[in-house]
Amino acid sequence: MGIGNIFDIAASGIAAQRLALEVTGENIANVNTPGYSRQQVNMVSKLSINTGGVQMGTGVQVNAVLRSYDNMLQQQVVAGNSSYQENLTRQTSLEQIQPSFNELNADGLGSAVSGFFGAWQDLSVNPQGVAERQALLSKSAIMVDNFHQMNASLSDVATNADNDLTGIAADITASARNLALVNSQILATQAVGGNANEIMDQRDLLVRDLAENAGITWSLQSDGTATVSLVGLGALVSGTQSATVYTEVNGTKNDVKISALGAAQDPGDAALASQATGIGGRLGGTIAVRDFIVPGYLASLDSMAQQLVTAVNGQHALGSDLQGNPGGAFFSGTTSADIGLDPGLDSNKVAASLGGGVGDNTNALAIAAIQSSNLSFTTPSGTTVSTSTERFYNSLSSTVGIDVQGAQRSTAQGNAFLKQMNSLRNSHSGVSLDEELTNLIKYQQAFQGASKVINTATNMLDTILNMVR
Amino acid sequence: MRVTPGMTADNALYNLQQGRALMDSLQEQVASGLQVNKPSDDPLTARQILDLQHQIAQGKQYTSNIMKGSTLLNVTNTALNGISSIMTEIKKIAADNVSGNGTQAERDAVGDSLDALKKQLIDMGNTEYGGQYVFGGYQNDQPPFNSDGSFNGSEDELSIEVAQGARVPVTLKGGEPLRGTGGGIDILAEIENLKTAITLDPPDTAGISGQINTMGAAADQVTFGLIKVANSLVRMNSANSLVTNNQNTLLNVYESKQNVDYAKAGVELTKLQTAFQAALASTAKISQLSLLDYI
Repeated sequence: MGIGNIFDIAASGIAAQRLALEVTGENIANVNTPGYSRQQVNMVSKLSINTGGVQMGTGVQVNAVLRSYDNMLQQQVVAGNSSYQENLTRQTSLEQIQPSFNELNADGLGSAVSGFFGAWQDLSVNPQGVAERQALLSKSAIMVDNFHQMNASLSDVATNADNDLTGIAADITASARNLALVNSQILATQAVGGNANEIMDQRDLLVRDLAENAGITWSLQSDGTATVSLVGLGALVSGTQSATVYTEVNGTKNDVKISALGAAQDPGDAALASQATGIGGRLGGTIAVRDFIVPGYLASLDSMAQQLVTAVNGQHALGSDLQGNPGGAFFSGTTSADIGLDPGLDSNKVAASLGGGVGDNTNALAIAAIQSSNLSFTTPSGTTVSTSTERFYNSLSSTVGIDVQGAQRSTAQGNAFLKQMNSLRNSHSGVSLDEELTNLIKYQQAFQGASKVINTATNMLDTILNMVR
Repeated sequence: MRVTPGMTADNALYNLQQGRALMDSLQEQVASGLQVNKPSDDPLTARQILDLQHQIAQGKQYTSNIMKGSTLLNVTNTALNGISSIMTEIKKIAADNVSGNGTQAERDAVGDSLDALKKQLIDMGNTEYGGQYVFGGYQNDQPPFNSDGSFNGSEDELSIEVAQGARVPVTLKGGEPLRGTGGGIDILAEIENLKTAITLDPPDTAGISGQINTMGAAADQVTFGLIKVANSLVRMNSANSLVTNNQNTLLNVYESKQNVDYAKAGVELTKLQTAFQAALASTAKISQLSLLDYI
């Protein structure tokens, strides 16, 4: 055991502390990088040797740069992202729908229906009045316009959702390609024994991104690559191969389809069934809006229009108009989209009487009574209820409110859960500047200490050499 | 638990957002004066409020129906009062001429004044309000009585709704008081008979005294019409007070559900503001702390 050994030990210390300072620098530099996991230097003492019966150490070595990582948390964050984004998408669309149904501070379809029946009441007081007949026609036109507006705003939300699918599919495809690329980088780095920490962070971030867009099942392979498949669609990324997710026009809607792994788009590719459960993510939320939420409200609105048309037309046909002719159709159409005033209708053809006299108001009274009579409507969930038109409309807007509130609560809960998970992840993997700065001082002092050892050893060597001279 | 600056930043943002969201919804309430601004604020209350709005609107419609109906009834009432006083005059003429005294010329003059009174009755029978002839029944767009006393109208009464399912007649059954529909006295024809009896040479005294009785009954028939109108008006009044009471109650309930209590909202807002300011201040202080300042 000679003085040379002191140099070796000190040199190993200098090298190890320098590496630790580098890792600290990397951590500090990446303090705000999304998905970055802090790295720690794992130092171990070198093998000891036996010198003259005494076990002596031979310095320090860095055996690994470890990444602080908790796979359990990653799983939770991935699942949380999917359901949070799904609810957020539903909430956004529902909040666009809600104003159409909001009559708490503005007039809408509900008061238009009130106005329509009110005009029949007015007509019943003066059945031959030209002003009353004109007022009835304009109130009817207002109600028809309201049906059209609501239909248009609901349909717009569905159309926007349908258009969004193309962008979501493209996002998924891009993330899948990047993930396949990252997988191949992981394989390449590990093949040459390199440290793939940063690439693994990228991999985890891409998996989280994918989960935001769609519900996924995923697993990590022993070689460090991630395998991902989409719920309802199938394999998306495996090893270095990825599939293409795309939309294809089918009638008035887009189908979401997936190609085979590493293959081009093919007409035989599987399409996503909208009834598939747990689609999740933005994709699931968007499909729910397009295929279930909006069609549900539209069906209710249509049943309202259809019931009103049937009831009013039926009673109107029993009456006779100012000329004594039998009442024709009052409304045309059967849905909220095509309801309209019958083209042949004018103020003289409003059939207010049953017996034919111009002053007879009995049919006007009968039509006005439809306001409080029970008709058979379809709720957004598809059940049939028997209630009056306005009560049905009020409960419909209440249903929209409940749906919005439900989506808002789910989103808020999902957000709180994600925040908690991200806090835990941050606590585990996030960079703490204070900690890194402390480490900086720690490693710097160790570095200075090791340098001092070399300095001392040099002095010792000088002393010995001077003895010889 | 390790606490990193990233966590502090995330937490601060999250909590500031929560605080802002609370203040925002409270501000919306204060600015609009409404407790429930969107159905999602409170879906069940929203539904009750919409139902209340609907009932209040219906009440307004019934009030408007009652107003219009009462007007028609009052017009009818005025016309019937006019008819009634003419009947008094006719009865007097009949009584004055019961003896059949007087020259032919004098009796012809009496016949002329009966003609004039009959014309007045026809004018009364053609009373119109806003294009509606109140004695025309369902054929009320044209004068129901021709100048010769024949009738164009129908024998129907116009009823309107004053509450859900409650209908009140706002006219009599067409020319009912003048024509005695269904077993009553056709007053116009009887006046013609009276005139004939008086102007005959010699006068038909038995006929005249018979007509005195008929005219008495005819006056009763008009009075009966007045009573029917009065009954309808009473029903209108009671319906009106019922609807008004109901409206007041509904409005009270509506306001208690929908109007913002500004004092409460103000206190709440101050509370939130204090909390939010504290959150802002602590966030600003904590975010600045770093070991970097000391090394």
